Amino acid sequence: MFRALVYVGVGWVLAAAVPALGSVFRLTVMLPSTSAVVLNHVAFSGPRVGVASGLVVATAIGYLEDLHQGAPAGTLTLAHAIAFLVLHWVSIRIALPRFPARLAAAAITVVVLDLLTWAVLSVLADAYGFRHASLNASLETVGWHALATMLVAYPVWMVVDACQGVLRPRRGLSDLRGERGP
Amino acid sequence: MRVSLRNARNVALVAILLGIPLLLLRGSVQDRYQMGAFDRAVWRIGAPLEAGVSYSARWVASFFARWVFQAGALEDRERLEQENRVFKRRLREVVRLEEENRELRRSLQMREQVPEDLLSAEVVGVEQSPFFRAVKIQIDRGTAYVRPEMAVLSADGVVGRIEKTHGDRSNVLLITDPASHIAVEIARTKAPGILQGAGEDRCEVKISSESVAREGDLVQTSGVDDLFPTGHPVGRVTRVTNRIEEGGEVQVVEVVPSVRFDHLRMVWVVLATAPEPDPPSGIARKPGSARGLQPLN
Repeated sequence: MFRALVYVGVGWVLAAAVPALGSVFRLTVMLPSTSAVVLNHVAFSGPRVGVASGLVVATAIGYLEDLHQGAPAGTLTLAHAIAFLVLHWVSIRIALPRFPARLAAAAITVVVLDLLTWAVLSVLADAYGFRHASLNASLETVGWHALATMLVAYPVWMVVDACQGVLRPRRGLSDLRGERGP
Repeated sequence: MRVSLRNARNVALVAILLGIPLLLLRGSVQDRYQMGAFDRAVWRIGAPLEAGVSYSARWVASFFARWVFQAGALEDRERLEQENRVFKRRLREVVRLEEENRELRRSLQMREQVPEDLLSAEVVGVEQSPFFRAVKIQIDRGTAYVRPEMAVLSADGVVGRIEKTHGDRSNVLLITDPASHIAVEIARTKAPGILQGAGEDRCEVKISSESVAREGDLVQTSGVDDLFPTGHPVGRVTRVTNRIEEGGEVQVVEVVPSVRFDHLRMVWVVLATAPEPDPPSGIARKPGSARGLQPLN
Protein backbone atom coordinates (compact mmCIF):
# COMPACT_ATOMS: atom_id res chain seq x y z
CA MET A 1 0.00 0.00 0.00
CA PHE A 2 2.78 2.36 0.96
CA ARG A 3 4.71 1.54 -2.20
CA ALA A 4 1.61 2.34 -4.24
CA LEU A 5 1.28 5.72 -2.52
CA VAL A 6 4.93 6.51 -3.24
CA TYR A 7 4.42 5.59 -6.90
CA VAL A 8 1.39 7.86 -7.16
CA GLY A 9 3.19 10.70 -5.36
CA VAL A 10 6.29 10.46 -7.53
CA GLY A 11 4.17 10.10 -10.67
CA TRP A 12 2.17 13.17 -9.71
CA VAL A 13 5.28 15.29 -9.04
CA LEU A 14 6.87 14.17 -12.31
CA ALA A 15 3.65 14.77 -14.26
CA ALA A 16 3.57 18.31 -12.85
CA ALA A 17 7.31 18.90 -13.22
CA VAL A 18 7.76 17.99 -16.90
CA PRO A 19 5.33 20.56 -18.37
CA ALA A 20 6.53 23.11 -15.81
CA LEU A 21 10.14 22.59 -16.87
CA GLY A 22 9.09 22.67 -20.51
CA SER A 23 7.35 25.97 -19.93
CA VAL A 24 10.18 27.52 -17.91
CA PHE A 25 12.90 26.47 -20.34
CA ARG A 26 10.65 27.23 -23.32
CA LEU A 27 11.19 23.76 -24.76
CA THR A 28 9.67 23.21 -28.16
CA VAL A 29 10.67 19.57 -28.46
CA MET A 30 8.45 16.61 -27.61
CA LEU A 31 8.24 16.18 -23.84
CA PRO A 32 8.73 12.72 -22.35
CA SER A 33 6.08 10.62 -20.66
CA THR A 34 7.40 10.02 -17.16
CA SER A 35 4.30 8.06 -16.19
CA ALA A 36 5.30 5.38 -18.71
CA VAL A 37 8.58 4.90 -16.87
CA VAL A 38 6.77 4.79 -13.53
CA LEU A 39 4.41 2.13 -14.90
CA ASN A 40 7.44 0.13 -16.01
CA HIS A 41 8.89 0.42 -12.56
CA VAL A 42 5.62 -0.69 -10.99
CA ALA A 43 5.41 -3.71 -13.26
CA PHE A 44 9.03 -4.83 -13.45
CA SER A 45 10.83 -3.85 -10.25
CA GLY A 46 10.77 -6.31 -7.38
CA PRO A 47 9.35 -6.87 -4.85
CA ARG A 48 6.37 -7.26 -7.05
CA VAL A 49 3.27 -5.19 -6.61
CA GLY A 50 0.02 -7.04 -6.86
CA VAL A 51 -2.05 -6.60 -10.02
CA ALA A 52 -4.78 -4.82 -8.12
CA SER A 53 -2.41 -2.40 -6.38
CA GLY A 54 -0.56 -1.82 -9.64
CA LEU A 55 -3.81 -1.14 -11.45
CA VAL A 56 -4.80 1.36 -8.78
CA VAL A 57 -1.46 3.13 -9.27
CA ALA A 58 -1.86 3.09 -13.06
CA THR A 59 -5.42 4.39 -12.84
CA ALA A 60 -4.42 7.15 -10.43
CA ILE A 61 -1.45 8.23 -12.54
CA GLY A 62 -3.58 8.11 -15.69
CA TYR A 63 -6.23 10.24 -14.00
CA LEU A 64 -3.61 12.80 -12.95
CA GLU A 65 -2.21 12.83 -16.50
CA ASP A 66 -5.74 13.48 -17.76
CA LEU A 67 -5.99 16.48 -15.49
CA HIS A 68 -2.55 17.85 -16.32
CA GLN A 69 -2.76 17.35 -20.07
CA GLY A 70 -6.35 18.52 -20.35
CA ALA A 71 -7.42 15.31 -22.05
CA PRO A 72 -11.07 14.23 -21.82
CA ALA A 73 -11.46 12.64 -18.40
CA GLY A 74 -10.87 8.88 -18.53
CA THR A 75 -8.90 8.78 -21.77
CA LEU A 76 -5.42 8.51 -20.35
CA THR A 77 -6.81 6.78 -17.27
CA LEU A 78 -8.09 3.92 -19.38
CA ALA A 79 -4.92 3.87 -21.52
CA HIS A 80 -2.70 3.67 -18.44
CA ALA A 81 -4.85 0.96 -16.86
CA ILE A 82 -4.76 -1.22 -19.96
CA ALA A 83 -1.07 -0.53 -20.51
CA PHE A 84 -0.34 -1.64 -16.96
CA LEU A 85 -2.28 -4.85 -17.45
CA VAL A 86 -0.19 -5.53 -20.55
CA LEU A 87 3.03 -4.73 -18.70
CA HIS A 88 1.98 -6.92 -15.80
CA TRP A 89 1.26 -9.80 -18.15
CA VAL A 90 4.68 -9.31 -19.80
CA SER A 91 6.48 -8.98 -16.46
CA ILE A 92 5.38 -12.51 -15.50
CA ARG A 93 7.23 -13.81 -18.54
CA ILE A 94 10.32 -11.61 -18.88
CA ALA A 95 12.48 -9.46 -16.63
CA LEU A 96 14.31 -6.20 -17.26
CA PRO A 97 17.58 -6.73 -15.43
CA ARG A 98 19.64 -4.06 -17.18
CA PHE A 99 19.09 -0.47 -18.13
CA PRO A 100 19.16 -0.84 -21.91
CA ALA A 101 16.22 -3.23 -21.59
CA ARG A 102 14.41 -0.79 -19.28
CA LEU A 103 15.00 2.07 -21.73
CA ALA A 104 13.64 -0.01 -24.57
CA ALA A 105 10.68 -1.07 -22.41
CA ALA A 106 9.95 2.58 -21.59
CA ALA A 107 9.93 3.44 -25.29
CA ILE A 108 7.66 0.51 -26.11
CA THR A 109 5.36 1.42 -23.22
CA VAL A 110 4.99 4.94 -24.56
CA VAL A 111 4.14 3.60 -27.99
CA VAL A 112 1.53 1.31 -26.42
CA LEU A 113 0.12 4.19 -24.33
CA ASP A 114 -0.07 6.48 -27.34
CA LEU A 115 -1.73 3.81 -29.45
CA LEU A 116 -4.25 3.08 -26.69
CA THR A 117 -4.99 6.78 -26.27
CA TRP A 118 -5.36 7.16 -30.01
CA ALA A 119 -7.72 4.14 -30.06
CA VAL A 120 -9.88 5.49 -27.22
CA LEU A 121 -10.06 8.94 -28.79
CA SER A 122 -10.77 7.49 -32.22
CA VAL A 123 -13.68 5.48 -30.84
CA LEU A 124 -15.06 8.54 -29.08
CA ALA A 125 -14.00 11.08 -31.73
CA ASP A 126 -17.52 11.67 -32.98
CA ALA A 127 -18.82 12.11 -29.45
CA TYR A 128 -16.08 14.60 -28.63
CA GLY A 129 -16.21 16.29 -32.01
CA PHE A 130 -12.59 15.47 -32.93
CA ARG A 131 -11.46 15.12 -36.53
CA HIS A 132 -10.09 11.69 -37.33
CA ALA A 133 -7.45 13.25 -39.59
CA SER A 134 -6.05 15.23 -36.68
CA LEU A 135 -5.90 12.14 -34.51
CA ASN A 136 -4.15 10.19 -37.26
CA ALA A 137 -1.67 13.01 -37.76
CA SER A 138 -0.76 12.89 -34.07
CA LEU A 139 0.49 9.33 -34.56
CA GLU A 140 3.42 10.68 -36.57
CA THR A 141 4.97 12.06 -33.39
CA VAL A 142 4.85 8.78 -31.50
CA GLY A 143 8.46 8.04 -32.43
CA TRP A 144 9.67 11.34 -30.99
CA HIS A 145 7.59 10.74 -27.87
CA ALA A 146 9.23 7.34 -27.45
CA LEU A 147 12.69 8.79 -28.02
CA ALA A 148 12.13 11.60 -25.48
CA THR A 149 10.86 9.09 -22.92
CA MET A 150 13.76 6.76 -23.54
CA LEU A 151 16.19 9.63 -22.90
CA VAL A 152 14.71 10.41 -19.50
CA ALA A 153 13.95 6.79 -18.53
CA TYR A 154 17.23 6.28 -16.71
CA PRO A 155 17.01 9.32 -14.39
CA VAL A 156 13.29 8.81 -13.78
CA TRP A 157 13.86 5.15 -12.91
CA MET A 158 16.63 6.21 -10.50
CA VAL A 159 14.38 8.83 -8.92
CA VAL A 160 11.62 6.29 -8.38
CA ASP A 161 14.14 3.80 -7.00
CA ALA A 162 15.55 6.43 -4.65
CA CYS A 163 12.09 7.48 -3.44
CA GLN A 164 11.11 3.89 -2.81
CA GLY A 165 14.34 3.35 -0.89
CA VAL A 166 14.18 6.52 1.18
CA LEU A 167 10.46 6.51 1.92
CA ARG A 168 10.25 2.79 2.71
CA PRO A 169 8.96 2.28 6.27
CA ARG A 170 11.55 0.61 8.49
CA ARG A 171 10.64 -2.61 10.10
CA GLY A 172 10.76 -2.81 13.84
CA LEU A 173 12.54 -5.52 15.81
CA SER A 174 9.26 -7.15 16.66
CA ASP A 175 8.46 -7.51 12.94
CA LEU A 176 11.75 -9.23 12.37
CA ARG A 177 11.09 -11.57 15.30
CA GLY A 178 7.70 -12.35 13.84
CA GLU A 179 9.30 -13.35 10.52
CA ARG A 180 11.56 -15.83 12.28
CA GLY A 181 10.49 -19.41 12.05
CA PRO A 182 9.44 -21.47 15.06
CA MET B 1 -9.23 -25.78 -14.39
CA ARG B 2 -9.37 -24.57 -10.84
CA VAL B 3 -9.98 -20.94 -10.11
CA SER B 4 -8.67 -19.89 -6.72
CA LEU B 5 -10.46 -17.38 -4.54
CA ARG B 6 -7.54 -15.02 -4.82
CA ASN B 7 -7.64 -15.10 -8.61
CA ALA B 8 -11.36 -14.49 -8.60
CA ARG B 9 -10.86 -11.54 -6.27
CA ASN B 10 -8.16 -10.10 -8.51
CA VAL B 11 -10.33 -10.44 -11.57
CA ALA B 12 -13.15 -8.70 -9.78
CA LEU B 13 -10.87 -5.91 -8.63
CA VAL B 14 -9.47 -5.46 -12.13
CA ALA B 15 -12.96 -5.31 -13.56
CA ILE B 16 -14.00 -2.75 -10.98
CA LEU B 17 -10.85 -0.67 -11.49
CA LEU B 18 -11.28 -0.77 -15.26
CA GLY B 19 -14.79 0.44 -14.69
CA ILE B 20 -13.51 3.68 -13.16
CA PRO B 21 -11.99 5.06 -16.35
CA LEU B 22 -15.00 3.91 -18.28
CA LEU B 23 -17.22 5.85 -15.92
CA LEU B 24 -14.97 8.85 -16.29
CA LEU B 25 -15.16 8.52 -20.07
CA ARG B 26 -18.91 8.30 -19.91
CA GLY B 27 -19.05 11.48 -17.87
CA SER B 28 -16.69 13.32 -20.16
CA VAL B 29 -18.62 12.25 -23.24
CA GLN B 30 -21.74 13.80 -21.76
CA ASP B 31 -19.98 17.04 -20.87
CA ARG B 32 -16.31 17.42 -21.75
CA TYR B 33 -15.76 20.62 -19.79
CA GLN B 34 -17.48 19.75 -16.57
CA MET B 35 -15.25 19.07 -13.58
CA GLY B 36 -16.63 17.12 -10.70
CA ALA B 37 -16.02 17.83 -7.04
CA PHE B 38 -13.28 15.20 -6.94
CA ASP B 39 -11.53 16.75 -9.94
CA ARG B 40 -11.65 20.17 -8.31
CA ALA B 41 -10.30 18.76 -5.05
CA VAL B 42 -7.40 17.15 -6.90
CA TRP B 43 -6.77 20.43 -8.69
CA ARG B 44 -6.71 22.29 -5.38
CA ILE B 45 -4.22 19.85 -3.95
CA GLY B 46 -2.16 19.77 -7.12
CA ALA B 47 -2.03 23.52 -7.74
CA PRO B 48 0.49 24.27 -4.96
CA LEU B 49 2.50 21.28 -6.08
CA GLU B 50 2.64 22.57 -9.64
CA ALA B 51 3.35 26.08 -8.44
CA GLY B 52 6.18 24.77 -6.29
CA VAL B 53 7.64 22.77 -9.15
CA SER B 54 7.32 25.73 -11.51
CA TYR B 55 8.92 28.05 -8.96
CA SER B 56 11.78 25.59 -8.39
CA ALA B 57 12.26 25.09 -12.11
CA ARG B 58 12.19 28.84 -12.67
CA TRP B 59 14.75 29.30 -9.91
CA VAL B 60 16.97 26.64 -11.44
CA ALA B 61 16.48 28.22 -14.85
CA SER B 62 17.33 31.66 -13.53
CA PHE B 63 20.40 30.23 -11.82
CA PHE B 64 21.57 28.67 -15.06
CA ALA B 65 20.59 31.77 -16.98
CA ARG B 66 22.67 33.83 -14.58
CA TRP B 67 25.51 31.37 -14.89
CA VAL B 68 25.29 31.44 -18.66
CA PHE B 69 25.03 35.23 -18.52
CA GLN B 70 28.12 35.40 -16.34
CA ALA B 71 29.98 33.11 -18.70
CA GLY B 72 28.89 35.33 -21.57
CA ALA B 73 29.86 38.41 -19.61
CA LEU B 74 33.27 36.93 -18.93
CA GLU B 75 33.79 36.30 -22.63
CA ASP B 76 32.57 39.80 -23.41
CA ARG B 77 34.96 41.23 -20.85
CA GLU B 78 37.92 39.39 -22.34
CA ARG B 79 36.92 40.54 -25.80
CA LEU B 80 36.47 44.12 -24.61
CA GLU B 81 39.80 44.03 -22.79
CA GLN B 82 41.47 42.86 -25.98
CA GLU B 83 39.73 45.64 -27.92
CA ASN B 84 40.69 48.08 -25.22
CA ARG B 85 44.34 47.11 -25.52
CA VAL B 86 44.16 47.62 -29.28
CA PHE B 87 42.43 50.99 -28.88
CA LYS B 88 44.92 52.11 -26.25
CA ARG B 89 47.77 51.22 -28.57
CA ARG B 90 46.07 53.13 -31.38
CA LEU B 91 45.44 56.05 -29.06
CA ARG B 92 49.11 56.21 -28.13
CA GLU B 93 49.94 56.17 -31.81
CA VAL B 94 47.41 58.94 -32.46
CA VAL B 95 48.84 61.03 -29.63
CA ARG B 96 52.33 60.51 -31.01
CA LEU B 97 51.18 61.46 -34.50
CA GLU B 98 49.32 64.45 -33.12
CA GLU B 99 52.44 65.63 -31.36
CA GLU B 100 54.51 65.07 -34.46
CA ASN B 101 51.90 66.85 -36.54
CA ARG B 102 51.91 69.81 -34.17
CA GLU B 103 55.66 70.01 -34.30
CA LEU B 104 55.72 69.77 -38.07
CA ARG B 105 53.11 72.51 -38.31
CA ARG B 106 55.20 74.74 -36.11
CA SER B 107 58.23 73.97 -38.23
CA LEU B 108 56.32 74.82 -41.38
CA GLN B 109 55.06 78.04 -39.85
CA MET B 110 58.62 78.91 -38.98
CA ARG B 111 59.69 78.10 -42.51
CA GLU B 112 57.20 80.62 -43.82
CA GLN B 113 58.46 83.32 -41.47
CA VAL B 114 62.16 82.86 -42.19
CA PRO B 115 63.47 84.43 -45.42
CA GLU B 116 66.61 82.26 -45.60
CA ASP B 117 66.89 79.24 -47.81
CA LEU B 118 66.19 76.33 -45.56
CA LEU B 119 66.39 72.59 -46.00
CA SER B 120 64.33 70.36 -43.78
CA ALA B 121 66.01 67.46 -42.04
CA GLU B 122 64.88 64.77 -39.70
CA VAL B 123 66.71 64.01 -36.50
CA VAL B 124 67.82 60.40 -36.78
CA GLY B 125 70.08 60.10 -33.75
CA VAL B 126 70.72 61.70 -30.40
CA GLU B 127 73.93 61.26 -28.43
CA GLN B 128 73.33 61.63 -24.72
CA SER B 129 75.52 62.52 -21.77
CA PRO B 130 75.69 60.34 -18.66
CA PHE B 131 72.99 62.62 -17.27
CA PHE B 132 70.75 61.90 -20.24
CA ARG B 133 71.21 65.30 -21.81
CA ALA B 134 71.54 65.51 -25.55
CA VAL B 135 75.09 66.51 -26.46
CA LYS B 136 75.01 65.84 -30.16
CA ILE B 137 72.36 65.04 -32.74
CA GLN B 138 72.47 63.46 -36.14
CA ILE B 139 70.30 64.44 -39.10
CA ASP B 140 69.39 62.60 -42.29
CA ARG B 141 71.08 65.03 -44.69
CA GLY B 142 74.58 64.17 -45.81
CA THR B 143 77.31 65.43 -48.07
CA ALA B 144 75.02 65.80 -51.04
CA TYR B 145 72.92 68.46 -49.30
CA VAL B 146 74.79 70.22 -46.52
CA ARG B 147 78.26 71.42 -45.64
CA PRO B 148 79.99 71.91 -42.30
CA GLU B 149 79.32 75.19 -40.51
CA MET B 150 75.81 75.54 -41.86
CA ALA B 151 73.39 76.73 -39.21
CA VAL B 152 70.69 74.43 -37.90
CA LEU B 153 67.43 75.88 -36.60
CA SER B 154 64.20 74.57 -35.19
CA ALA B 155 60.82 76.10 -34.55
CA ASP B 156 61.87 76.88 -30.97
CA GLY B 157 65.18 78.47 -31.81
CA VAL B 158 68.80 77.86 -32.69
CA VAL B 159 69.98 74.27 -32.51
CA GLY B 160 73.62 74.49 -33.57
CA ARG B 161 75.60 74.00 -36.72
CA ILE B 162 76.73 71.18 -38.96
CA GLU B 163 79.94 69.74 -37.62
CA LYS B 164 80.67 66.82 -39.95
CA THR B 165 78.99 65.30 -42.95
CA HIS B 166 79.39 61.71 -43.97
CA GLY B 167 77.36 59.86 -46.56
CA ASP B 168 73.71 60.58 -45.96
CA ARG B 169 74.11 61.67 -42.33
CA SER B 170 75.45 64.76 -40.63
CA ASN B 171 76.45 65.52 -37.08
CA VAL B 172 75.19 68.72 -35.54
CA LEU B 173 77.27 70.59 -33.00
CA LEU B 174 74.77 71.87 -30.45
CA ILE B 175 75.01 75.33 -29.00
CA THR B 176 75.56 73.77 -25.58
CA ASP B 177 78.76 72.10 -26.76
CA PRO B 178 81.85 73.82 -25.32
CA ALA B 179 83.27 73.96 -28.85
CA SER B 180 80.32 76.04 -30.06
CA HIS B 181 80.57 79.83 -30.43
CA ILE B 182 77.71 81.95 -31.74
CA ALA B 183 77.31 85.67 -32.09
CA VAL B 184 74.32 86.67 -30.01
CA GLU B 185 72.77 89.70 -28.37
CA ILE B 186 70.42 90.41 -25.53
CA ALA B 187 67.13 91.13 -27.29
CA ARG B 188 66.11 93.89 -24.86
CA THR B 189 69.37 95.86 -24.78
CA LYS B 190 71.01 94.69 -28.00
CA ALA B 191 74.17 94.12 -25.98
CA PRO B 192 76.35 91.80 -28.14
CA GLY B 193 78.36 88.82 -27.01
CA ILE B 194 79.69 85.43 -28.00
CA LEU B 195 77.65 82.54 -26.71
CA GLN B 196 79.73 79.58 -25.71
CA GLY B 197 78.46 76.15 -24.79
CA ALA B 198 78.84 75.09 -21.19
CA GLY B 199 77.54 71.51 -21.52
CA GLU B 200 74.49 69.89 -19.97
CA ASP B 201 71.89 72.23 -21.45
CA ARG B 202 73.70 75.40 -20.46
CA CYS B 203 75.52 78.20 -22.30
CA GLU B 204 77.39 81.26 -21.24
CA VAL B 205 77.85 84.64 -22.84
CA LYS B 206 80.03 87.46 -21.72
CA ILE B 207 78.72 90.93 -22.32
CA SER B 208 79.87 94.36 -21.38
CA SER B 209 78.76 95.61 -18.01
CA GLU B 210 77.54 98.83 -19.52
CA SER B 211 74.12 97.40 -20.35
CA VAL B 212 72.73 95.37 -17.52
CA ALA B 213 71.28 91.97 -18.33
CA ARG B 214 68.45 90.56 -16.23
CA GLU B 215 67.18 87.11 -15.55
CA GLY B 216 64.54 86.18 -18.09
CA ASP B 217 65.98 88.30 -20.88
CA LEU B 218 65.74 86.74 -24.31
CA VAL B 219 69.04 85.99 -26.02
CA GLN B 220 68.93 85.90 -29.82
CA THR B 221 71.33 85.63 -32.74
CA SER B 222 72.89 88.88 -33.85
CA GLY B 223 73.91 87.70 -37.31
CA VAL B 224 77.36 89.24 -37.20
CA ASP B 225 79.07 85.87 -37.62
CA ASP B 226 77.44 85.33 -41.03
CA LEU B 227 76.47 81.85 -39.92
CA PHE B 228 73.15 82.32 -38.20
CA PRO B 229 70.34 84.52 -39.47
CA THR B 230 69.58 87.51 -37.34
CA GLY B 231 66.96 87.53 -34.61
CA HIS B 232 66.51 83.84 -33.95
CA PRO B 233 65.87 82.95 -30.30
CA VAL B 234 68.70 81.18 -28.56
CA GLY B 235 67.57 80.99 -24.95
CA ARG B 236 66.71 82.82 -21.73
CA VAL B 237 69.00 84.39 -19.17
CA THR B 238 68.93 82.45 -15.93
CA ARG B 239 71.77 84.05 -13.98
CA VAL B 240 73.97 87.10 -14.29
CA THR B 241 77.30 87.45 -12.45
CA ASN B 242 79.72 90.33 -12.68
CA ARG B 243 83.40 89.51 -13.02
CA ILE B 244 86.60 91.53 -13.34
CA GLU B 245 88.74 90.42 -16.23
CA GLU B 246 91.68 91.83 -18.13
CA GLY B 247 89.57 94.13 -20.26
CA GLY B 248 87.57 95.38 -17.34
CA GLU B 249 84.27 94.39 -15.68
CA VAL B 250 82.06 91.99 -17.66
CA GLN B 251 78.76 90.27 -17.03
CA VAL B 252 78.82 86.51 -17.32
CA VAL B 253 75.32 85.55 -18.33
CA GLU B 254 74.11 81.98 -18.02
CA VAL B 255 71.65 81.03 -20.73
CA VAL B 256 69.30 78.06 -20.94
CA PRO B 257 68.60 77.14 -24.57
CA SER B 258 65.04 77.55 -25.77
CA VAL B 259 65.29 74.26 -27.68
CA ARG B 260 64.81 70.90 -25.97
CA PHE B 261 67.38 68.98 -27.94
CA ASP B 262 66.17 65.57 -26.76
CA HIS B 263 62.65 66.33 -28.09
CA LEU B 264 63.71 67.40 -31.55
CA ARG B 265 62.25 65.57 -34.51
CA MET B 266 62.70 67.98 -37.37
CA VAL B 267 65.17 70.79 -37.94
CA TRP B 268 65.98 73.24 -40.70
CA VAL B 269 69.44 73.69 -42.19
CA VAL B 270 70.20 77.19 -43.40
CA LEU B 271 71.58 76.83 -46.91
CA ALA B 272 71.98 80.51 -47.69
CA THR B 273 71.34 83.76 -45.95
CA ALA B 274 68.54 85.96 -47.22
CA PRO B 275 69.44 88.77 -49.62
CA GLU B 276 69.51 92.31 -48.39
CA PRO B 277 66.20 94.09 -48.90
CA ASP B 278 66.18 96.56 -51.78
CA PRO B 279 63.04 98.63 -51.44
CA PRO B 280 63.83 101.20 -54.14
CA SER B 281 64.20 98.73 -56.98
CA GLY B 282 61.09 96.76 -56.11
CA ILE B 283 62.70 93.67 -57.55
CA ALA B 284 63.80 90.91 -55.23
CA ARG B 285 67.40 89.98 -55.74
CA LYS B 286 68.44 86.41 -55.90
CA PRO B 287 69.93 85.18 -52.66
CA GLY B 288 73.65 84.60 -52.51
CA SER B 289 75.26 81.27 -53.10
CA ALA B 290 74.88 78.68 -50.44
CA ARG B 291 77.91 77.21 -48.87
CA GLY B 292 78.50 74.33 -51.22
CA LEU B 293 74.98 74.27 -52.64
CA GLN B 294 72.83 76.40 -54.86
CA PRO B 295 69.94 78.04 -52.99
CA LEU B 296 66.59 76.41 -53.30
CA ASN B 297 64.05 78.23 -55.47
